[in-house]
Amino acid sequence: MQSQPAKYEAEMPSLLWGLDPVFCAFARLYIKDIKEMKESKQVPGIFFYNGHPVRQVDVVGTVVLTKERDAFYIYGVDDSTGVINCICWKNPMEVEKSLSVPGTSCSHDLLEQMKKLQEEMLRKTKLEIGDIVRVRGHVRIYREKREIQASNYYKVNDPACDVQISRMLKLPCLYREVYDKPFKIPEEAQREYSASGGVNFTSSIAIDVLSEKVKDFLLENRIQTFYQQELETVESLVSLASQPLFRTTSQQMDSKSEASSKLIHSAFKQAIEVLQEKGVVFQKSNLPKDLYHVTDQDKELYSMTLSIVKADCRKPRHAEKGCHFLHILSCVRQSYSPYLSEAVMHHVVNLLERNSDIVSTMEGYYMTF
Amino acid sequence: MLPNPGVYYFPWEINSESVADGQTLRTYGRLHCYDMVQSEAILTALHSSVQHQVRICTKFVEPFQAQLGSVYVALGETEQRDGEGPVLKARVLTCVEGMNLPLLEQAVQEQRRYFQERQGQAESSAS
Repeated sequence: MQSQPAKYEAEMPSLLWGLDPVFCAFARLYIKDIKEMKESKQVPGIFFYNGHPVRQVDVVGTVVLTKERDAFYIYGVDDSTGVINCICWKNPMEVEKSLSVPGTSCSHDLLEQMKKLQEEMLRKTKLEIGDIVRVRGHVRIYREKREIQASNYYKVNDPACDVQISRMLKLPCLYREVYDKPFKIPEEAQREYSASGGVNFTSSIAIDVLSEKVKDFLLENRIQTFYQQELETVESLVSLASQPLFRTTSQQMDSKSEASSKLIHSAFKQAIEVLQEKGVVFQKSNLPKDLYHVTDQDKELYSMTLSIVKADCRKPRHAEKGCHFLHILSCVRQSYSPYLSEAVMHHVVNLLERNSDIVSTMEGYYMTF
Repeated sequence: MLPNPGVYYFPWEINSESVADGQTLRTYGRLHCYDMVQSEAILTALHSSVQHQVRICTKFVEPFQAQLGSVYVALGETEQRDGEGPVLKARVLTCVEGMNLPLLEQAVQEQRRYFQERQGQAESSAS
């Protein structure tokens, strides 16, 4: 059994951060927590509150300190749990004050409006001690102190403290409902986890990455056929497959080289399975050790499909609409390989269509001229 | 240097024993009187039919427009004076007339309860 704190110590791999909604949101945290949360070891500027990756924060508080610099203000913001410096950039419009526009009546109006807008913006962004401010931005560490680099900030008009009170009432609920609950991997990912037979979720994403790399490798080198063992000799792919992401925690303990070569073998097997499902590669038989064909490079399958469509379009039954996709599939299965999948056939038909060897007459029907 | 955070204290919680010298806090109350010469104001609040008073030093926030009878929020550091009880040296003194006092009280309690809960959980998991 793992205890709670130990679970949080292991940092979630950065590949999975995006699955946690907190990562994309402006986290409404207490300033105390913003100052105490742990920085990521993988990516500086990302922090972890209770295992949730935090990229951006949203704070509301009283300004208790102001400093002005050429291009920005520094506001010390106090939300009653902590005080943090916020770097608030001045509006560029305010800096370049001179607006020279020729004095026609229309543009004069516009100039007035712009002036009003600027005044309003100045009113909202020039703050004094005692004002209430709302700041959104990312956290960074400057001279070993945390500060918020504001991407957005404004003075809150809160004469009767309604905004502050409602936030104080809301935050405890938000913490209990979201931030204090440990992040769970979504159900869909869990299903994938069980489907992949014990290989953990991290690795199933890694398998996708590996399968993409295998695909790129096959297409770049115009490989027509290959055996799995051949792929396992390609250095760039093997180095990817031997990364620790592909291992489950229990397997990680086992550092024997035989075990690791077995893992690489299974990673390649799964990556090829993914490509098979997508129809990028196929086998003529259902023996796993058999030769793999690359769909896009297989001339025989290409020309056979084309000749089937050509021949059948002459038949009166198909003369008008063309041949249906399923008809083509069953013909190819009869004469080429009974194990050919629909995804592979889609690939071939799309390729034929791209090359203008066949044309689609309506959804799912194809013919030649 | 950033000051310490101004933790919420209810006016009836501020007395010599409960508050350390130099403690940063924020509190509220109706402005009862303002002595411009002494730079001292008094905020009052009614709690379970007892009238409580908080003395505020207003040196840092002057000049300010004193509206007697209105609700103010004060933020600052306390200073213990012999035989007189604590005085809050306010850095921020804002008129918040119209504020929903019972709701603020509830919000402060909610926030405290949340932090207590969290503290309790942390302690129980640590032991």
